[in-house]
Amino acid sequence: MSERSRHALIWAWTLAVLVFIYLPAMCILLASLTSSRYFLFPIQKWGLDWWRKTFDSIEIHQLFKTSITIALCVTVIAVAIAFFGALAFARYNWKGRTLFQKIVLLPIFFPQSVLGLALLLWFNAIGLQMSWMTAVFAHLVWIIPVVTLVISIQVYSFDPALEEAAFDLGASRFQVFREVTLPVLLPGIVSGSLFAFLLSWGNFPLSLYTDGADTTIPEYLYAKMVAGYTPGVPVLGTVSTFGAALLLLGGYWLITLRRRAQS
Amino acid sequence: MTDWGDSLTIHKDRMSKRPPILQLKSLTKSFGTFNAVDGIDLDIAEGEFFTIVGPSGSGKTTLIRMLAGMEQASSGDIILSGTRINDMPANKRPTCMVFQSLALFPHRTVGENIEFPLKIKGVDPAKRRTRALALLDQLRLPQNYYGKSVLRCSGGERQRVALARALAFDPQILFFDEPLSAIDYKLRKTLEKELKDIHRETGKTFVYITHSLEEAMVMSDRIGVMRAGKLVQVGTPNEIYSAPRDKFVSEFMGDVNVIPVSMNGSRKVTADSFDKEFAVAAIPEAFSAGHLVIRPEFIRFVDKAKDADNVLEGKLYNEYALGSRIQYQVRVGENVFIVEKLRQQSSTLRRDQTVLIGWDAKDGILVTG
Amino acid sequence: MAALHETGKGLSQGARNALPLLIFLLVGFAAPLLAVIAYSFMPERSFGLVHSPTLINYAGIFTGNSYISFGWSLSFAAFTVCILAVVCYPIAYGLSRVFGRWAPLLTLLFTIPLFVSENVRLYGWILFFIKNGVLLGTLKSWFGVELESWLFTRGMVLLGMVYVYLPFMLFPMTLGVSMVPNETREAARDLGASRFQVFREVELPLSMPGIMIGLLLTFVLAVGAIAEAKVLGGQTIIPITHDIEIAFTYAQNWPLGAALAVLLMIVVGTLVLLVLKRFDLDAILGRR
Repeated sequence: MSERSRHALIWAWTLAVLVFIYLPAMCILLASLTSSRYFLFPIQKWGLDWWRKTFDSIEIHQLFKTSITIALCVTVIAVAIAFFGALAFARYNWKGRTLFQKIVLLPIFFPQSVLGLALLLWFNAIGLQMSWMTAVFAHLVWIIPVVTLVISIQVYSFDPALEEAAFDLGASRFQVFREVTLPVLLPGIVSGSLFAFLLSWGNFPLSLYTDGADTTIPEYLYAKMVAGYTPGVPVLGTVSTFGAALLLLGGYWLITLRRRAQS
Repeated sequence: MTDWGDSLTIHKDRMSKRPPILQLKSLTKSFGTFNAVDGIDLDIAEGEFFTIVGPSGSGKTTLIRMLAGMEQASSGDIILSGTRINDMPANKRPTCMVFQSLALFPHRTVGENIEFPLKIKGVDPAKRRTRALALLDQLRLPQNYYGKSVLRCSGGERQRVALARALAFDPQILFFDEPLSAIDYKLRKTLEKELKDIHRETGKTFVYITHSLEEAMVMSDRIGVMRAGKLVQVGTPNEIYSAPRDKFVSEFMGDVNVIPVSMNGSRKVTADSFDKEFAVAAIPEAFSAGHLVIRPEFIRFVDKAKDADNVLEGKLYNEYALGSRIQYQVRVGENVFIVEKLRQQSSTLRRDQTVLIGWDAKDGILVTG
Repeated sequence: MAALHETGKGLSQGARNALPLLIFLLVGFAAPLLAVIAYSFMPERSFGLVHSPTLINYAGIFTGNSYISFGWSLSFAAFTVCILAVVCYPIAYGLSRVFGRWAPLLTLLFTIPLFVSENVRLYGWILFFIKNGVLLGTLKSWFGVELESWLFTRGMVLLGMVYVYLPFMLFPMTLGVSMVPNETREAARDLGASRFQVFREVELPLSMPGIMIGLLLTFVLAVGAIAEAKVLGGQTIIPITHDIEIAFTYAQNWPLGAALAVLLMIVVGTLVLLVLKRFDLDAILGRR
């Protein structure tokens, strides 16, 4: 087989897999565009009625508020802890480093539904009342390690001599951090925040067991999928998840493109 | 600054008589039981270009990092203009380092990099800019580089920006940690000369480390050769070249012929590997056994045994063209000799030809160890 | 390494930076797992930790049907991993060697689904496969073909798992494949190796760290999968996580659920530690 046809095959395969990946998303989008109460395909009567109804619902507004609050809290705390964790992970050579790296990875490799139940047990054992705040904590257990990894990748390419040079040129430790370390690692921090926000926003198994009476969008969607389907489900599914992911990642992509054009 | 009009030799002579700006007294850095830097004593004069040469692992990087304040000394003293600065952190020391990786801030422009130390000192923006532009000028960089991203500069330009940034700090001593090691040969030769010119223009003390004695020779007033944490020899380039203290220093110079010998008479040494005696001129005090070092350019092809003080018969194995010189490998029994000739001297030598090579007694250097 | 801030006394710079994270994981990860272990030794249907320890829950696993669920979870995870390895390798190779300037965009496209709630994505498959849905509805109205829906079958569960865990195989694998220096491929070709020999002798061993991480990650996640069987599988298979959930919720038998969780943790933990022990993470992540 020639190089060319081999490459063509790889392209074809990759595009086919991408279609496979986006097929369900397309189905959800289609299902949200019907005017009728039930999902029948081909769609008889197209319309945006369910989009309007969904956005007018006070219940949905409350869901958005809960999900955003959780995701924002998770992002801020996760990035703060993971930033220093990433320095320990990739920047400094210290005695416990390889062990630390493995400890950080463990929660990522752990089944989330079991982690959610374990946290439920734990909160119960220490007598905590479940609410969106316990959900923030639960999300952090899984998301901090992910964000640590994401920032670490940036830290690996960080030249420690940059800090030394700034220090040597008279900067105080705080100035070194503010003028050099932080700005140079900023792309890693931005991607880390993005991961934190989106992973928290879309999380279902951890929220399910740990947020008590508060409800996030993925939980609501799940409940409605199991019983009580309306085309509001695909509307919310499309907007809240695909929409958020596309918006944020698209924005991030544009920023990197622009930065590349500048330099 | 003094006038630099007189000849360079006078200038160098005066240098050694100046008071030392930097004094090291039994400076040591240990990692566990291993001494990376092992009891170094050294005086560096103000305005001197001092180069520390050594192979990797010789401790030269650890040494310069201690001097710059990035590594804590285990024992001994670092004295700058009469003050002990061992416990002074790098950001308080009036010294500055140019790093091997250059450590240019990738998120800053050329101008912002150069202005960094001034910004830290709280100099107002207008003055910073003026100084940065003046430094661009001094380093032969165009003025419009001020707003350019350092990521878009070439290797040589980045070198100049790093040097400009260090000069903006206005340090009493500038340290260099092999900044030219990653640069291709031709550009490196240019930058070496430029660096020496900058040294002359600024009159500052430069302390430079490198693994290349060749590089050290080009730039330095004095050279210190380092091995296993110790300074083996300190001297002018000429002293290092013509009177290496031991086998290590002589071999560090590049291709040399080294023959193990032992003392035998007043003007002769015995070389067991040749089963022969060689005439030598100068014999170090209390010399009993060591090595005879002969530089390849001092060995020549001769016609008969009487044409040189020491003559050997061998076979020409191969020849290598080295720019302006040609190098020959001559095999004498089991031993290999390196002989060099200038290219313009015409030659009719062929491979496997039997040749006579010889050198004069005064060109052999006896070293201990 | 830099000793810029090193004072020589107390904790090292690295340990100080690691501390907040370690404390958090102690409280948020180690403690809950210990709580689960503690509960697993409590008598049936107790909600506190005040009783004397017993092994009755572990015995219950083998007298009940839970070992079957374990079997389902492990075998489906194994199938998923095998399918994903074959599906992802050409893409990983493409991303690191063929796609060039398109690689970042394609990577982004493969990343986006990671951020979308699993439930929502699986629900899309329901809309696709359901009677009168996108697939069957189209077939019916355009071609007049009427077929039974494939929903709620074991094949469907496998499809769901392959679909959900694809990125977790793809990204580590891409990292692994891009660790193979191109010169080694060319050198092997130049030394007379066939394309398959190059793959077997050079590419595969050199990209193994990334591939192993991908295999491990997908296997571990797939063993813990629950949504696929629930959403797409109907009741055709009951994975172990489903049993655990039932024990905690409907059955109100926390100690039994805890015992099942402990067994799952042991399987997962052993695998993770075995595989991670063999690799230098610095080499994989930092490529140095």
